[in-house]
Amino acid sequence: MLVIRRRAGESVLIGDEVEVRVTEIGSTRVKLCILAPKDVVVLRKEVKLTREANVAAAREAPADLTGLAARFRAKQER
Amino acid sequence: MPTFSTSRFGTIEYQDDSVIQFPFGLPGFEEERQFVAIEHTASRPIVFLQSLTRPDLCFITLPVLVVKRDYRLAISPADLKSLALPCDRQPEIGTDVLCLAIISVAEGRLPTANLLAPVVVNLKTRVALQAIQEESAYSHQYPLLDSRPEAECS
Repeated sequence: MLVIRRRAGESVLIGDEVEVRVTEIGSTRVKLCILAPKDVVVLRKEVKLTREANVAAAREAPADLTGLAARFRAKQER
Repeated sequence: MPTFSTSRFGTIEYQDDSVIQFPFGLPGFEEERQFVAIEHTASRPIVFLQSLTRPDLCFITLPVLVVKRDYRLAISPADLKSLALPCDRQPEIGTDVLCLAIISVAEGRLPTANLLAPVVVNLKTRVALQAIQEESAYSHQYPLLDSRPEAECS
């Protein structure tokens, strides 16, 4: 793992073809500009987490959910 | 009325105006554009999101406010625009939008809800997307029940 400090306007190169440039630094967020070839997939990590969660959710759902539903109802009423 | 043969419910009937349109699908299921929301008295408050193109694809969901009573939406301006909602404020859950958290229920594990990316349905147009929340601390694996099932439920 590489940890590196950058100022706004500075870049990091990943391999020969990917450049990550810091364009703006706010109080809670930084704005990044990513230059990469078209075949490199650039995703926010949340999208990947959500995709994995969706695939798992679709695969694993049991047939009978009445017991689980009853527990949610009980929780709601507490 | 149109019908569709599903793995979970057998053949279902639905009205055209009850179809929920996902113009972009859902992450991992980008080609699935049409769903219906199904509720059953015995499984209340669960809402089933059944695909109208894949019989075996049915998401188990719960209204986000059931999962977390004080849940606050933080939908990105781009997603608000895709949903044809005003970009200057967050929509009201229940009035402007239906907001459902997809649940993961696997044998032997405690169920979790994806609060990071709830399904948001514009109640006027029935257009929906899975909205990844901005600057949100909510987990994609929020634990739903904090203990193992009691004996009478297992």
